[in-house]
Amino acid sequence: MRTADVIRRAGRSLQQAKARTLLTSLAIAVGGFTLTLSLAAGQGSREYADKLISSNVDPQSLIIAKDPALLGGGAAAQAGGLHDYDANAATTRGVGGSVSIKQLTQDDLAKLQKNSDLTDVRPLYQPVAKYIQIGDSDKKYTGDISQYNPNIRSDSAAGSLPLLGTDIGGNEVVIPQTYADRLGVAPADLIGKNLVITVAKPATTPTEQQINTILATEGTAGLTKLTQPETEDVTLKIRAVMKSSATTLSTSTSMQIASDQAKNLTDYTTQGTSNYQKYMIVTARAKKGINPETVKQDLKGQGFNAKTAKDLQNLLFTIVNILQGIVAGFGVLALLASVFGIINTQYISVLERTQQIGLMKALGMRSRDVARLFRFEAAWIGFLGGVIGAGLAWILGTLLNPWITDKLSLGDGNHLLVFQPVPVVLLIASLVLVAVVAGYLPARKAAKLDPIEALRTE
Amino acid sequence: MIEVRQVTKTYGKKENAFLALDGVSFEIPDGASVAIVGKSGSGKSTLMHAMSGLDRPEKGEVLIDGKNILELKGRALDAFRAQKMSFIFQSFFVQANESCYNNVSLPLEIADVPVAERKRKVVRALRAVELLDKLNVRARDLSGGQKQRLAIARAIVNEPSILFADEPTGNLDSSTGDTIEDLLFSYNKANKTTLIIVTHDHDLAAKCDIRIDIKDGKILSVKEKAGSKSVSREAEEVVAK
Repeated sequence: MRTADVIRRAGRSLQQAKARTLLTSLAIAVGGFTLTLSLAAGQGSREYADKLISSNVDPQSLIIAKDPALLGGGAAAQAGGLHDYDANAATTRGVGGSVSIKQLTQDDLAKLQKNSDLTDVRPLYQPVAKYIQIGDSDKKYTGDISQYNPNIRSDSAAGSLPLLGTDIGGNEVVIPQTYADRLGVAPADLIGKNLVITVAKPATTPTEQQINTILATEGTAGLTKLTQPETEDVTLKIRAVMKSSATTLSTSTSMQIASDQAKNLTDYTTQGTSNYQKYMIVTARAKKGINPETVKQDLKGQGFNAKTAKDLQNLLFTIVNILQGIVAGFGVLALLASVFGIINTQYISVLERTQQIGLMKALGMRSRDVARLFRFEAAWIGFLGGVIGAGLAWILGTLLNPWITDKLSLGDGNHLLVFQPVPVVLLIASLVLVAVVAGYLPARKAAKLDPIEALRTE
Repeated sequence: MIEVRQVTKTYGKKENAFLALDGVSFEIPDGASVAIVGKSGSGKSTLMHAMSGLDRPEKGEVLIDGKNILELKGRALDAFRAQKMSFIFQSFFVQANESCYNNVSLPLEIADVPVAERKRKVVRALRAVELLDKLNVRARDLSGGQKQRLAIARAIVNEPSILFADEPTGNLDSSTGDTIEDLLFSYNKANKTTLIIVTHDHDLAAKCDIRIDIKDGKILSVKEKAGSKSVSREAEEVVAK
């Protein structure tokens, strides 16, 4: 029998049991729906992550650290327990015990700066302000300070930002929009105003001799002054107010200063401590034409751990893939349930059409063709279910996309669900395959039916 | 020519064994109309199944044009049935939800008849049974007699050389039954198709060239109708042996 004839007969048999066919395929449609959405969400998230990274991060940029744990590259082996003392490690008290992190020393920095593949080698300074004052007000605030990253694109709500790759001036500061909101001022009104950062030198413990000398010369007032930490005010001009946006990666909650200024402040606040001129992270760029991945491997050989822009992207992709896998898992479960539905329906169909099968065999239809007839019926069910499920998901997803974009503040033009024809077609094809596999046993039963038994009327 | 030689078929095993056919032998010349007559349980249906290759007797041969169909492998036997044989049943077995056209075209599809030829053959078969006006009507909407005519159209569409009819008029009233009988016999005469009718209806049997009576799996007699050619003499000789 020709395949086309078998497919047509299978299709007509299904049409004759419309309700049953539809219900059985709806079971498959649930799986198809979930899988289509997971495909679309995965694609959408990856596109979004890709857009986020490529529009914000210089593909040549590298983040370099000494400690593998810091970049999520290796085991955080230094957490808890008893460890060798390392003069170059910073100890942070975290949940569940202190964590010591290996830092980059001046020697390390010099080594990186000498590396002919790298340019723009800058330590990531992490200055801490005692307090800040904005404008003419005497009110003191606290806030995080970070370094302006010329390699990351930002949008300004007011004022202007330098071109990508150019640092801001040493006496300039860029503040996030949240500051303006907190102060209740329009962002434009803050441009050109002064921002005073007050930093404190670490408190020193005076020796007995120092105490005696001070007491003798300046009295108790002098002693108070000695134990009080020394402070310094740095006055900066507000250059721009950063807009908080869905597609910018910049840390929008901290004020940003030029790296030279950040170095000054950091040096000032760490003077005399073990952290003086040691850094957790150094940023750099691979020179034009040099693959950052090669540089990364190179640095690894020298005991550094580096992450490229691509790694950052992969990290985001990994998260997306895991989430997508979870959703797809539910789809597969639904599909598994529908497999039993198909087996059941097809068994009933074989029983109902015993005489028809008997007749076809009596007329010389081969067992193989009888089996094919039932397998194609199962295939039709799978196809129908796939089209219904994927179609509904596509329509619903397209309708809901603007709402989702709004709710998740993804920014205009970005969609969480991105439907692509090729994966959806492949999905439907695999649903057809699943249905055919499910129809295997009923089809075999039909093929093995004895025509004499089937045609017995009594 | 159909030659049945020493066909024996047993159902069940050991103590429960039941001899459905016990060394049955006879011959049917091409183009004859044959009635296999017997009560229910006599083995007449089993004999039809054995002759059509649906059933496999333990012993004996069924030679059709000199070829023993009981020795054919599954695929070849299916092809043989699709090309040479056809069936008409008491309960019609038309596919109720299919149109008349698709009912009749089924044997052509099974026999791999080219698409171009099918339409012509289906129309010719439906015209022969006077159902051409019902071409696109679903079989469930036909009366009993029309259903059996449809079954006949399906049986003759691929121009078989042997047509088996199992109680073809059993479910019909007498006047409709007569129409069906006329249809079968006129086709038999016009196309030289061997017609083998399994029945317990003696009136129907009387219209056939050859009447084979069967009881308890054994042939009682093979009789040739008076006036027809000496087709059954050889058959009687075989039985006498």
